[in-house]
Amino acid sequence: MTSRILGIGFLSPAIIAAFVFFLLPVLLTVVFAFTNMSTSTGIMGGDYQINTEHLRSVADTGISAGSVEKLETAGFQITEAGLIGLADQFSERAADELREDLLGETFTKRRDLERVLRELDDPIRKTRDRKAAADLFAVTIIGERFDTQEQFRTALGDTGIDSADHDALTEFAFTGWTWTTENFKLLLELPSTLRFATNTAFYVICTLAFNILFGLFLAISTFYLPGKFANTFRAIWFLPRILPPVLYVLMWNWFTWDTGFIATVTGWFGVPPQNWMMQTAPRAWTVIILINGFVGASLGMILFSSAIKAIPTSMLYASEVDGANRWQQVRYIILPQMRWPILFMTSYQTLSLLTSFEYILLATDGGPGRSTEVWALAAYHTALNNYGGNLQYGLGAAYALVLVFIGIGLSALYLRFFNFKELLSKPRIEQ
Amino acid sequence: MSNIIRTSALVGAFAVLTGTAFAEDITITVWAGGSNDSDSYRIEAIEIAADILEREAAIQGEELNITVEGRRDFTGWDEFKQGITLGAEAGTAPSIVVTSHLDIAPWSQAGYIVPVEDYVDLDSWPLNNVYPNLMEIASYAGTQWGIPQDAESRPFFFWRETLTQLGYSDDDIDALPGKVASGEYTLRDVLEDAKKAVDMGIVEKGYGFYPRVSNGPDYAQFYQSFGGQLMDPDTGKLVLDKVAMTEFYQFFVDAVAAGVTRQNHIGTEWNQWYNEVANGRAAFWHGGTWHFGRYAREGNDDFWNTIQFSLIPAGNEAGRANTITHPLVYLVMNQEDDRIEEVASQLIAIATEPRLNSLHAIQSNHLAVAQAQSNIELYRGDRWASEATEVLLSSATSQPNHLQYGAFSEAMFRGLEAAWSGVQTPAEAVAEVEAQMRATLGGDLIVR
Repeated sequence: MTSRILGIGFLSPAIIAAFVFFLLPVLLTVVFAFTNMSTSTGIMGGDYQINTEHLRSVADTGISAGSVEKLETAGFQITEAGLIGLADQFSERAADELREDLLGETFTKRRDLERVLRELDDPIRKTRDRKAAADLFAVTIIGERFDTQEQFRTALGDTGIDSADHDALTEFAFTGWTWTTENFKLLLELPSTLRFATNTAFYVICTLAFNILFGLFLAISTFYLPGKFANTFRAIWFLPRILPPVLYVLMWNWFTWDTGFIATVTGWFGVPPQNWMMQTAPRAWTVIILINGFVGASLGMILFSSAIKAIPTSMLYASEVDGANRWQQVRYIILPQMRWPILFMTSYQTLSLLTSFEYILLATDGGPGRSTEVWALAAYHTALNNYGGNLQYGLGAAYALVLVFIGIGLSALYLRFFNFKELLSKPRIEQ
Repeated sequence: MSNIIRTSALVGAFAVLTGTAFAEDITITVWAGGSNDSDSYRIEAIEIAADILEREAAIQGEELNITVEGRRDFTGWDEFKQGITLGAEAGTAPSIVVTSHLDIAPWSQAGYIVPVEDYVDLDSWPLNNVYPNLMEIASYAGTQWGIPQDAESRPFFFWRETLTQLGYSDDDIDALPGKVASGEYTLRDVLEDAKKAVDMGIVEKGYGFYPRVSNGPDYAQFYQSFGGQLMDPDTGKLVLDKVAMTEFYQFFVDAVAAGVTRQNHIGTEWNQWYNEVANGRAAFWHGGTWHFGRYAREGNDDFWNTIQFSLIPAGNEAGRANTITHPLVYLVMNQEDDRIEEVASQLIAIATEPRLNSLHAIQSNHLAVAQAQSNIELYRGDRWASEATEVLLSSATSQPNHLQYGAFSEAMFRGLEAAWSGVQTPAEAVAEVEAQMRATLGGDLIVR
């Protein structure tokens, strides 16, 4: 029993880390995906407000025409109650003057009333006092922000709006986010969805194939090289992996720009200078697959190399005695024993490629003309990048959630396809 | 015991000596987006204003100590806006932000900002002297949320020497802005002249017309050039004019086909772009009034004899020559303590003083926000500021403050990119933009 508790104790940092860094983000993604959350709704709740822009569509909520008119025409009115407040808090003379000249008068804007208060014989001199004084005459809720539903409902009642319309108006006036499944409907509806999906499939399949095949090629070819050379080659091929992405992509940019390396060299042969990354979609794809491919291949190379090293050399010597050539060794001895590392690399790379977009963001940013925009990049652009300022957190999370499900589905598929259980079964010799 | 008495006596004596009012310490943080060294007065004007406000308070017998902490080292608008919105959610937002007027709609809806009109008198100096159209741009839904910090405009530029080689006389070139304004010289003429310049070898292929390299308000100008309207003033809904949008896309496709603009132009390095246009590698381009200073830093200190500028020419009969001003605004962020909001608003009002704003306008090559600035020696003496104000600002329009404008402008630019880079034809691109806008904007959109 104590050892079990001890075990959990030792595991607890890992459990906490898994919860904070994996489960929590996924849970939050699920929550966000079913909301209409955006910059304008905020993240932490909301208030209650109807402004003049909202007024344009307030009739759509189905409230009575009388309420609409009341909302539209209300403003600031010189009433006896307001005047008493004014006399009380500010100046009796000002209140008397207003009563005499303007009792019953309505102002649509506070600013108009402020002007009156400023021009009185006994003016209210301080800006802040004038605003507070004008607020005493408010008979409108337009433009005012209420922290709680109760305050809003009370204000609705005070301005004489029919109580039958209070529920509809309260819902209409809420500025925070609400639960919705609209994001997923929108995803189905948008013409770009299909394009992002095909882009992603194309990107993942091509890059994955490059990763695995090139990684295998590097591992096998360096295996047959003498030790010193092999290590040097591996170190060189490992560079893309250890370079910071920004630096690595910057080097690709220099390589492919209009004034870059390729353009300069091809220029010597009379090829007009051009951008070898962004000129056409096929070129952009080639560069992106190479950029990501080299990074993935270098990891594959290390993993495959160590797997090959683990193959007993006696098997290779025996095959040489039997007259096997290099190709036959690779085909019949090395590759069959590489199933587990290849499975691991394939599933790991699929999942990481599905969600990775940083190299694409840095290289083409989805261009030219959105032709290299993959799903994860679209999620990023939707949720965190918008020139106009209204970021769509909810829709972006919906994009991301789709990826989570695809990832889980693919993992299950891989485990079945590669017969994961058999790989994990106990060696027969010990049974 | 005696110690306490002695201490209290000392404190009491000290209090009497220093006056009865207690000192009020207030820290105001100012974050300015999209600002480099030449935009330092976005923050420094607030510092100067703090000094003035402290003195005003001192005269009234109050001791007010304002500490201004400024920040403008953001890597880009994205980082800045994320910082602001997340800060606002966490309750650590700065007191004052300098940002695009387009942020007013979403940020006011979210409750991140408070109306500046709650704290300052819009009818008194200097706010009553700010251009009314700029004040309008800083307001939303009938509320004055912010105060314009600067004005600018996005002109069309011509390289004089190229025009001369194309056969224009100096007088012709001087008359160009007028011809553009009257609709006599259109984007079709631009294309024709640019093609000639490329064919004659005056500029390289792809350098005839050399547009902005990323999304921005500039592209909405071309939509307007072809008769497009961004917002319907009666209903307050955004407008997708399919004909105008198609023609606007077609213009860029034609420019690529004619070899005057590169197909992969979008995404060109900004530094490379500035250097090229400042030194005459391109025949025609468009930019912003603040480019004046940048071109000088790129080695062109003879702007007036090398470059001509005008409104963005009309595209066809339906459209008009136009330019968009995209003012940055001072906004006050929602704070726990109303007193900070009040002081922040007062500082913004003081910083709008024509003399203070002129410091920014001239240092950063922006335009005035207040009418009286044309009487400030510093501003009036600057040829670029006064001519640009005269030629451009009177015709300048702005993008609408609308909750969904971000989605609208994003879709419009995505469509342009797709057509420009040859991924879709203009008609296909517009069809997709329409589907995208209908889905995302719903009832906020009018399609024509």
